[in-house]
Amino acid sequence: MKKGTIVLIVILVVVIALGSGVVGRYNQLVALEETVDGRWAQVENQLQRRADLIPNLVNTVKGYASHEEQVFADVADARSRLLGATTPEAQMEANRGLDSALGRLLAISEAYPQLKADTSFIRLQDELAGTENRIATERMRFNESVQTWNTTIRQFPTNLLAGIMGRQPKPFFEASSSAQEVPQVGF
Amino acid sequence: MRMHKKIIRTSIVLVLVVVMSNVVMAAFPDKQGFVNDFANVLDQKSKAEMQLLGEKLWSEQGIGLAVVTISTTAPMDPKEYTTALFNEWGVGGPDDSGLLMLLAVAEGAIEVEPGYGLEGVLPDGLVGAVIDQEGIPHFKKKDYGAGLSAMALAYANILAGEEFEIVEEREGSSGWFVSFVIFVLILMLMRRGRRYPPGGSGGFGGGGGSGRTVIVPRMPRGGGFGGGSFGGGSRPSGGFGGGRSGGGGAGRRF
Repeated sequence: MKKGTIVLIVILVVVIALGSGVVGRYNQLVALEETVDGRWAQVENQLQRRADLIPNLVNTVKGYASHEEQVFADVADARSRLLGATTPEAQMEANRGLDSALGRLLAISEAYPQLKADTSFIRLQDELAGTENRIATERMRFNESVQTWNTTIRQFPTNLLAGIMGRQPKPFFEASSSAQEVPQVGF
Repeated sequence: MRMHKKIIRTSIVLVLVVVMSNVVMAAFPDKQGFVNDFANVLDQKSKAEMQLLGEKLWSEQGIGLAVVTISTTAPMDPKEYTTALFNEWGVGGPDDSGLLMLLAVAEGAIEVEPGYGLEGVLPDGLVGAVIDQEGIPHFKKKDYGAGLSAMALAYANILAGEEFEIVEEREGSSGWFVSFVIFVLILMLMRRGRRYPPGGSGGFGGGGGSGRTVIVPRMPRGGGFGGGSFGGGSRPSGGFGGGRSGGGGAGRRF
């Protein structure tokens, strides 16, 4: 009788301990996933900000180099693909396309000294460079959170819980090579 | 085949880990105040001017100005270094209203970065225009002090035209307005007994990653810095909470 009670209490304590452990892990996973999503929203903000700058930039370049239609069309194309992308993976992919189209657009300016000296063009280039730096910063913060997430869901025992919850490792947002060369306004 | 993939994936992760920990662990010099002439290239007059400006901006606008000269930012590039230093020092107030001007002598680089809270008042185009007009002519003559001082004055004039404007850049929380009102109230309450002891206020900690709804009553402040944006724990006494930046601003090579 007395023995049975003790056994019961021990079992109860073990169950509660295990249970609260699971709850803690579960909450940890939820918090981590929220962080990843929040960081990605920050990346998205900056991608959007860059997309918003592009029409002005294109118009300014058009004022000096109106016959470079192919490049303008490519940029407009890449921009609408970015704005149309819905999943993070698609956005990362579309962003790489925009990087290369923008690279070609800025390369044009090298051939037009008057464009390079245009104050509104310089300002736009500053805005663009600043936004690209912001993207880089937010990308770094996003990747850090992804790394924490990926590590946590692979570690024992959270991997068991993550498996039950059906959670997968998340992809890093890698910079495309052209994005790493932030355009510099040289003097 | 599968083994290969695994090895490749593991090495990519390892490289990322190493790169990231380098960024985090890079040693930054301790802040000395508003003016940090680590490269020893500034003249006394400019230093005094900027010191005065820094004090004025801090007491009247709550804007933390930090001027830094450094001989080199290697192995980081100047922009990367500036962003990291900004967040390491926590330049500016709890509303992220800081402005960091960094001149790297070896790179011939000037980088100016506003905190999140100043991005609305100081768009990158304007930041760059001030560098072009006020800074570059002096920097080309290696007159770093005059250039930085002229730039600081120009930014101060732009900033002084605005009253404590907060531009929310982060997750669209509606709590910021409430926090802002509370913050202003605390500011008004503490307005009277403000003193500025020399020296920075050390320590990091404080502000977590997701928005700020916690308002900590401020102690007399030490110079516009204090608190990082990483980690948890209690705020250091005399600290102010971490000013954060997202890598905006503009830079030039001269």
